[in-house]
Amino acid sequence: MANYLAQFQTIKSACPCMIVAVEDVSDIWPTVKSSFEQRLPFKKACLNNKTRNPVFLENLRAEFVLTTDARLRSRFPQEQYLFWFREPYATLVLATCEDLDEFKNILKPRLKVFAQNDEREWFIVFVSRAHPSNDQATKMAKKVYAKFEADFSSKKRERCCKFDIYGPEPNFWEELEFRIIESVKNTLDRRIQFYEDEIRKLSEQRFMPIWNFCNFFILKESLAFMFEIAQLHEDALREYDELELCYLETVNMGGIYREFGGLDRGDDQAALLNPGKKSLTQIVLDETFREFEFRQYLFACQSKSMLPFCMREVWVITACLALIDATGTKYNGEDEAPEIVKEFYRVQGDLYSLCRTKLLRLAYLIGYGTEIERSPVNSASLSMLPWPRPAVWPSVPDEASSEMLQQESPRARHFGLQRKPLPLEPTVLVREANRRRTSFSVGNASEIFYAGRIDDGLASNESSKQSPADKVQAIMMSRTYSSPGNFDCSIGRRPMRLAEIFVAAEYALKKTISNPDLQKILLSVESFEQKYMELTKGAADSYHHSWWKRYGVVLDGEIAAVCFKRGNFDLAAKSYEKVCALYAGERWEDLLAEVLPNLAECQKSLDDLAGYLTSCVRLLSLDKGLFSAKERQVFQSEVVSHAHSEMAHHVHLDVSSLITFSGNPGPPMALCDGDPGTLSVTVWSGFPDDITLDSISLTLMATYNADEGGKLRNLSATCLKPGRNPITFPLPPQKPGSYVLGVLTGHVGHLTFRSHSFSKGGPADSDDFMSYEKPTRPILKVFKPRPLADLSAAISSALLINETQWVGIIAQPLKYSLKGAVLHIETGPGLMIEESHSIEMESYRNSAQGSTDTANSGDAAKDCSPAANKHFEKLCLVNGKIDFPEWASDVSSILWIPIRAIDDKLARGSSSGGPDRQSVVDRMRTLALKLEFGISKNQIYERQSITLHFSDPFHVTTRIVDQCNDDMLLLQVTLHSQLNATLSVYDVCLDLQAGFIHAGKGNGRPISGSFPLVISPTSKVGLLFRLCSKKRSAEDENKVPPENILNIRYGISGDRTIGAHPPLAMKSNETGDTGRGLSFRSTLILQQPILNPCLAVGFLPLPSDCFRVGQLVTIKWRVERLKDNEEKRVPQNNDEMLYEINVNSDKWMLAGRKRGHVSLAMKQGSRIVISILCMPLVAGYIHPPRLRLPDVNEANISCRPAGCHMVCVLPPAPSSSFCISA
Amino acid sequence: MTSTACFIIASRNDIPIYEAEVGSAAKREDAAQLHQFILHAALDIVQDLAWTTSAMFLKAIDRFNDLVVTTRSRNRNKGKAPTIKVDFLTNPPVTQSLTLEHGIKSFFQEVHELYIKILLNPLYLPGSRITSSHFDTKVRALARKYL
Repeated sequence: MANYLAQFQTIKSACPCMIVAVEDVSDIWPTVKSSFEQRLPFKKACLNNKTRNPVFLENLRAEFVLTTDARLRSRFPQEQYLFWFREPYATLVLATCEDLDEFKNILKPRLKVFAQNDEREWFIVFVSRAHPSNDQATKMAKKVYAKFEADFSSKKRERCCKFDIYGPEPNFWEELEFRIIESVKNTLDRRIQFYEDEIRKLSEQRFMPIWNFCNFFILKESLAFMFEIAQLHEDALREYDELELCYLETVNMGGIYREFGGLDRGDDQAALLNPGKKSLTQIVLDETFREFEFRQYLFACQSKSMLPFCMREVWVITACLALIDATGTKYNGEDEAPEIVKEFYRVQGDLYSLCRTKLLRLAYLIGYGTEIERSPVNSASLSMLPWPRPAVWPSVPDEASSEMLQQESPRARHFGLQRKPLPLEPTVLVREANRRRTSFSVGNASEIFYAGRIDDGLASNESSKQSPADKVQAIMMSRTYSSPGNFDCSIGRRPMRLAEIFVAAEYALKKTISNPDLQKILLSVESFEQKYMELTKGAADSYHHSWWKRYGVVLDGEIAAVCFKRGNFDLAAKSYEKVCALYAGERWEDLLAEVLPNLAECQKSLDDLAGYLTSCVRLLSLDKGLFSAKERQVFQSEVVSHAHSEMAHHVHLDVSSLITFSGNPGPPMALCDGDPGTLSVTVWSGFPDDITLDSISLTLMATYNADEGGKLRNLSATCLKPGRNPITFPLPPQKPGSYVLGVLTGHVGHLTFRSHSFSKGGPADSDDFMSYEKPTRPILKVFKPRPLADLSAAISSALLINETQWVGIIAQPLKYSLKGAVLHIETGPGLMIEESHSIEMESYRNSAQGSTDTANSGDAAKDCSPAANKHFEKLCLVNGKIDFPEWASDVSSILWIPIRAIDDKLARGSSSGGPDRQSVVDRMRTLALKLEFGISKNQIYERQSITLHFSDPFHVTTRIVDQCNDDMLLLQVTLHSQLNATLSVYDVCLDLQAGFIHAGKGNGRPISGSFPLVISPTSKVGLLFRLCSKKRSAEDENKVPPENILNIRYGISGDRTIGAHPPLAMKSNETGDTGRGLSFRSTLILQQPILNPCLAVGFLPLPSDCFRVGQLVTIKWRVERLKDNEEKRVPQNNDEMLYEINVNSDKWMLAGRKRGHVSLAMKQGSRIVISILCMPLVAGYIHPPRLRLPDVNEANISCRPAGCHMVCVLPPAPSSSFCISA
Repeated sequence: MTSTACFIIASRNDIPIYEAEVGSAAKREDAAQLHQFILHAALDIVQDLAWTTSAMFLKAIDRFNDLVVTTRSRNRNKGKAPTIKVDFLTNPPVTQSLTLEHGIKSFFQEVHELYIKILLNPLYLPGSRITSSHFDTKVRALARKYL
């Protein structure tokens, strides 16, 4: 059967689709052919797959072939079985017949032959040539067709259908298609069954010596191919997979000779999609397999349904490129689901990166190693990829012996980083090449087998599909066949040097590579780099489009490396930043340490000073183990030297990861509103050496409002040692609230540091804390403003005016120290401080206050306890300021200040009846106080005015009584005590004004004189004087005062803690005499009598109670002279007296004289009656007429008895005479 | 059998919080960087895979030449981003690869229990680096036992 291998491929290529045989019994095919073929391919079909499940297909391709065709004839039966897939899947019998006899005699026997052949799926198409207009013929045709149906169709299966040439029935084509598909389906089922049986049979015999893989291969392959032409691709793929599996098992069992193959020109190019590139006989030769070709062949077959990957240096490169092209051009991701798009890009990315890796490997082999960036990704992909294992490593061709390449010298790294370059090779190439030169190997089959699964993470999707057993098989096989190196053979030959290896490899590659593009790529470093860049970009872009962002970003780093080498620092920096951001964000520091120096170098080249310094700081903040101490010192010195150099701009640097800070543990510092303080903060420095900051400042953030907060400055240069540094900041007064630490900033030269980082109070070297929310432990608490001290007057009762008095001011600390407090005192108008006296200060304890103090704080209670020593001190007032002594800082104290209120006005006494009391406000005096205290005198307690109440000792009221007959007056003087002290009156003397003199002996003393009089607070005492109003002689008139003055000599005894007290000066002199010294003067008002009645006018009683309108009435007044009016005598020489009667003329009618003179004797007691007749005109209550005496002053008239105010006037009486006459 | 194995616990932000080289073979000079690189790259795949399965043990998810990345993720069902534990081995001998996978699974399980104990420690800030030497010793002991 193996002989058929040769034909196999041609047979396969000769039949691209299903064949439907046409048995043209009546030579009618040419006429119907075109209309039949128009139906191809079949729009819809339903076939059973291998597991007998229906699969719906569209556009099933098929071909009508006449049975007389050469392709279907002259085949040997055995051949037919083997290549059964190319046999017709249905047979269509075309027959026509015009009468029944012909059918019976000629057609039916011929058709019977088909009907009896079970192996074919057949059915009959009766072609009716009867024209529809010809009824006769149509009828006949119907009859004949009925006969057909009767003979060939059974109940189980319809095998006939009728086709009218001149107008087929509408559903004919559907029926035809149905029949054909039905037949195909049946045939396919049968053939699958057949192949399966055969394959099973062969599989059972597998371990027998006669077993031949070729047979198996052909059967399996035929089955797969049949599925393929039936468009059951999944089944086809499965068959190919099984075939591969079986192949692997077979070759691993041994007994079959295997060679690698790939020996022919052009084999380096991947023939991935072209199974017909080599004939099968070349692949399988007399029980020998060429593995490479065979696999490639299998792959090509498989790849018709799917596009997997394969690799092997050049081959892989071309394969990948071909695949990228193929998929890329066919792909339009418009209608795809996003997952599929992503997956597509991931596969593309994998292809690109695989291709890239292989290109790198080739480039390294030909000596471009220096051009390859030794980055983690390149190192990882190349150092773990085994070297190619050619049978014989190529030797240097003779003509190239002079070409020697430069030895690789690692590029000097920035910062003088002493780091071993990452390897790009699994083992040293020299050793590998020299070992391989003479050793014999079948080829690195293992690499091929692993390739699809292992490299670069491509495997995940493919390996999941493969069964584990398969993997095991593959690996086992590779172990068996990779022979160890044979060192013995190489003895005697000079080992190749590295440069020679490169040259040799290059020559060998040039020979191998047939693809001109690829040749060009490896021709020069530039073109290689270009291709490399292209692939890297492709990979990066694809990964960015897929889920695998990390791959993309890492490859961006490779692009950056090339850009950097080409001097395109801008692009390089951008890409490096992306990579660094990725690694830094996820804190894979080992990886970051590889890339970050490159970024720094780029930034330095770009003069991006800020970026460069940031990178330096980031380098410093990496794990300490990643760089040596020396390297870290270099980073720091870079930062410091740049900071002090000339910089165009101020650079702000975030050193959060390097410098961290925290407040001291324990409760937050508590301050009163407005108080400054000192805040101690611990700063951890991550710099390897001491670093001197020109200044350092710290912001505080208020917890209630993020915008609020203060800034603390420490302008002096600070040296931060590595590790922990305690630093204190002066704290200016802050607003009330809680504060947390905000940002630490520092300056070094032109550089501004900034750190947001808050270390938890633990060691600063682990920077993991950064990622957590800052602890909101407040560091400072500023309380809301509250009274911290209180100043108040010690007494509220009145003090003595015009005398020096002590005023007590209580200074009371409210849980706040008054240490160093200064009291400013300013006096209001009318008040002065007696500076000649010193101010006294003593501790003060109020009983009520004391109890609250005790309740509040124990300390205060102790200090204020009665047992505690009482402090007393004399202080001086300097510029209106008093400094508090030390002892007064925590306890309440009282200040006694000597003052004197001045009032020039004499006190005025008032008569007992009148409300003429002196206004209290006049005697108010104010004292303005200001207390400065607190740590830096920042707290101010200001009391605009303390009101002091001053008063005279007495208030004097008078009452006067006339004794009437002898011009004697009795004056009662009442003294009201005004002070909260006991007053003693020693002497009283009254000086009288003009017009009054003392009666009797007249020494000005009261008649009731029992001195001293003691007046207790708020009580009063009365004094009685007798006087008379009389003129004094002229010389006496000059001496008397204009007012009556009461002079009182008195004494006072009181306590300054209660109220008024003896004045200061006296107290200082002599206590015994004090009582006699004080004097008080008050004015008293006495007035001469005002009323002096000379005439008395009396209204005489009216004759009747009621008047009537129109009735005449006589009204009488009596005028009597009461006494002689001496003053009036001169102008009024005669006795005549003018009178006048006032009346409302509308209401009264007068008869007699309204105005006139009457004579009245000047003698006392003379009297006269004036009468007048008048008549009321209106009824009602009206004013009666009134008498006036115009010449006499009103004050001299006494109306006694007084006239009536109103009189009642009745309406006129009814007049009967009028009534009668009417 | 000599093998290198690198074990990393990554927190939910993909930050490595614990790293250990637990293999019996001598550490290669470039291994730390190499292992980190491979494991970091594997996070992409883990993210893809974690949503396709409900199993915590994700088996071998990636191969990098001879190195196999095995992963176990947790907390996926609670709606949190997964905390990922990544393991990674060199050259698993073919015949033992299945038993080895089993071993890794048990290793993961026990380490997970250890990790939970660490997590319950009130002084441990979740997501910060695990610095407990006790934990380290135990993990290494488990590695000797199972790998």
